[in-house]
Formats: sequence, C-alpha cells, structure tokens
Amino acid sequence: MPETASGRGFVGYLGYAAVAVMVAAAIAAICLLAPTEETMGDAQRIVYIHVAVAWMGLACFIFMAVAGGIYLARRDLAWDHWSRAALEIGWLCCSLTLITGSLWAHAAWNTWWTWDPRLTTAFVLWAMYSAALVLRSGVDDPHRQARMGAIVAIVGALDVPLVVMATRWFRGVHPQSPHMEPAMRVVLGISVVCFTVFFTTLLLLRRSQLRIADMLEDMECGGLPPLSETAGDFPRVLEG
Amino acid sequence: MVKKLYWMISKDLLSECRSLRVWPAMLLLGVVVALMFAMQADLPPERLRQIVGGLLWLTIFFAGTLALDRSFAAEREDGCWEGLLSYPVSPTCVYLAKLAVNVVALAALECVLIPLFAILTDVPLLAHPGPIVAVAVLGNLGIAAAGTLLAAVVNTGRQSSYLLSLLVLPAVVPLVLGAAEATRLAVEHDFGPSWWRWVQLLAAFAIIFITAGIVLFEYAVEE
Repeated sequence: MPETASGRGFVGYLGYAAVAVMVAAAIAAICLLAPTEETMGDAQRIVYIHVAVAWMGLACFIFMAVAGGIYLARRDLAWDHWSRAALEIGWLCCSLTLITGSLWAHAAWNTWWTWDPRLTTAFVLWAMYSAALVLRSGVDDPHRQARMGAIVAIVGALDVPLVVMATRWFRGVHPQSPHMEPAMRVVLGISVVCFTVFFTTLLLLRRSQLRIADMLEDMECGGLPPLSETAGDFPRVLEG
Repeated sequence: MVKKLYWMISKDLLSECRSLRVWPAMLLLGVVVALMFAMQADLPPERLRQIVGGLLWLTIFFAGTLALDRSFAAEREDGCWEGLLSYPVSPTCVYLAKLAVNVVALAALECVLIPLFAILTDVPLLAHPGPIVAVAVLGNLGIAAAGTLLAAVVNTGRQSSYLLSLLVLPAVVPLVLGAAEATRLAVEHDFGPSWWRWVQLLAAFAIIFITAGIVLFEYAVEE
C-alpha cells in the first residue's frame, strides 16, 4: 500500500475513513435527527451546513492573514503553503456559504439575495478570496506570490470589521440569535464539528500537496532537498 | 524626509502636467459615467436625493481607479523603477508621495464630479459645502490609501490593469457605503449622530489603511 502525503499507509487511510464517517454522520444527523422546523419545513435544514461552512470560511480568512503575516516576518515558504491552502479552502467555504445562504434566504424571506450585513460580509470575503486567487495565478516567483498573497490577506483581515460595522449600520435583517430547539442545537454542534474536521483535513492535504510540489520544483532546478525533509512526505511510489 | 517627500510629489505632479498621461482620461471617464448615471436615474427628486450619494461615490471610485492603476506605471514603463527604489528614501516616503499624488488626482476628480452631479440631478449637493468637503476629503484619503498599497501589489503581476478594481472594490465597500450615506444625510440636512457615525467610519478607514500602507508598502515593492 503506498504512503499518503500526510500520513503513513494504513493509519493515513484510517484517518480519511474516520473523516468520511464523520461527514456521513453529520449529514445523517441533519436529515434524520434534526426536528423539522414548523414554519420553514425541511428548507431550514440548510442552516446546519450554512453555519458550518460560514464559520470555516471566516476561520480560513483569519488563518490566511496570520500565516501571511508570519511569512512576511520569517520569509519561510512553509507559511505561504499554509496561507495558500487556507485561501483555497476558504474560497470554497465562502462560495458554499453564499450558495446555501441564498437558498435559505429564498425559503425564509422569499428573495434570493438581500443586502444584509452578514451576507454582504460573506460576499466581500468571497470577492477578496477570488481576487487573491487571480492575483496569485499571475505571478511565477513563489516568494513574490507569497508576499502579494500575504499583503492582500492582511488588508482583507483589517477590512472585515469595517465591512461588518458599515453594513450593520446600513441595514440588517439577518436573524441575530435564531430560536432553536435543544435537538436542533445538538445537530448544529455535530455539523459544525464534523465539517470543521472535514475542511481542516482538506486544508492539511492541500498544504502537503503544495509543499511536495515545491520540493519537486526544487529538485527539477537541481537543488535537491535534504533526505530528512523529504522522508515523511514523498510517496514510496516516487522513490521507486 | 519632508523635503524628499516634497520633491517626489513635485516630480510626479510635474510629470503628469507635462505628459497628461492619466488625468484627462480619468476626468473624461468620470464625466461620461456621471452622464450615464444621470440619464438612467430619471426619478422623483426625493428618491434621487437618496441615491445620488451612491452614484457619485461609485463614479469617483471607478474613474479614480484609472489614476490609482497608473500610480507606478510611469516608472515601470520608463524603466525608472529600480532608480526610484535605489534612491536614498525609505519605502514609506515613496508610499506617502504616491498617496499624496493620488489624493490630489481624486480631489481634482471630485471638484469636477460633485458640481456636475448637482447640475445633472438637481440635487443640492453644494447647499452645505463644509460637510460635503469633509466627507470628500476622508473618502478621498481612504480610497487613495487602500488603492496606492494595492496598486503597488498588483503592479508586479502580469494583469495589473484589470485586477486593481477587483481587489480595491471589495476592500473599499465600507468606505463607499459610508461616504454615500454621509452624502445622503448631508443632502437631507441631517447632521445628527448618524452622520457623525459615518464620518467616524470614514476617518477610521483612512487611518487604518494609511497605517497599513506605511507598514506593508516595503513588502509590496520588494524585488
């Protein structure tokens, strides 16, 4: 059995299987365990996924800015791998937040979109993630790419509180603390934990992938990395 | 520092006055967008008062992006960028000089667009010039601060001309929203706590992004 990027053989696959089981359990809890809401019906179940991906999107954004700041201080590309992985996973989560939010808004408010503070903040976050992705794709030098990514991430992190304030003063219809039955809160908790584990696993995998891609590029350029650095990361298949 | 700053600002302003590379295009774009907005906004006066602030600030942003995008283009195209960086001034000084030039460019744009919007829409934008000027100055500083920093970031990439708006617009959402609301309240002669709150937001935005520019600019222009 080949070694995986972030774990060794059987243990690695066992970890992935556990994550898959957690996601399946979360979906089962959402569909079967959560009580049906009286006014919205089954459409309310979207909220369990929406909250989980929205939280992950914001967490990735903050993590990206922190990793970017550490990169600027230390100039270690390892931190840029974290920052870039967080950017990509954050973009995915933010896109899912907008889609699930829009579906929920249509069911709850009979409109696909409203300029509510949190929706607007999610949209601004998504636009910044997208611009950062496009910006990075236009630069070949990894250090220059890392610097640009870090600056955009920090600017975005500084901007988010102002966006929240401005849009909250402007108008707001988003439920501040929606009423939920205890069973609903339990399912929401399960969903948030399971999807956080799932997206964190994706983040770790993507970070490993970026690190290996960088190592391969170094090898192609003639600068072979020390064996101790590569031993834990390369699949045995490559060694053959 | 002040003398170096003065010389760098004079250099950029003199170069623009001689070559007229950016400002005429920026002003023309502003006028055309203002005309198109005014043409489409055929609404009752009360409704028009509510939206004219938003239209004005969107026009300032889109036309101003031309000036922001060209902040570093002249040096890049004429091969003077390395010379500018090797000049014995700190990156902070370069940032502040570019910021000042962009503030002047946006001020020129506002001097044209605010009276033009007042004429085209018949909304009394200049009935209380003081508050409108305060909003314009703070909005100007905020857009220029964020725009100059991000222009330096995208200037090293391959796609600077179209990417800057994509990066700056989400970043200045709170500023455009704040400036539009403060303008609307000023037009409605409402200078209560709500107006002050928006003005404070504009000031906070300008302070945060000027500070961020001073700290981060040296990383943005690093070769």
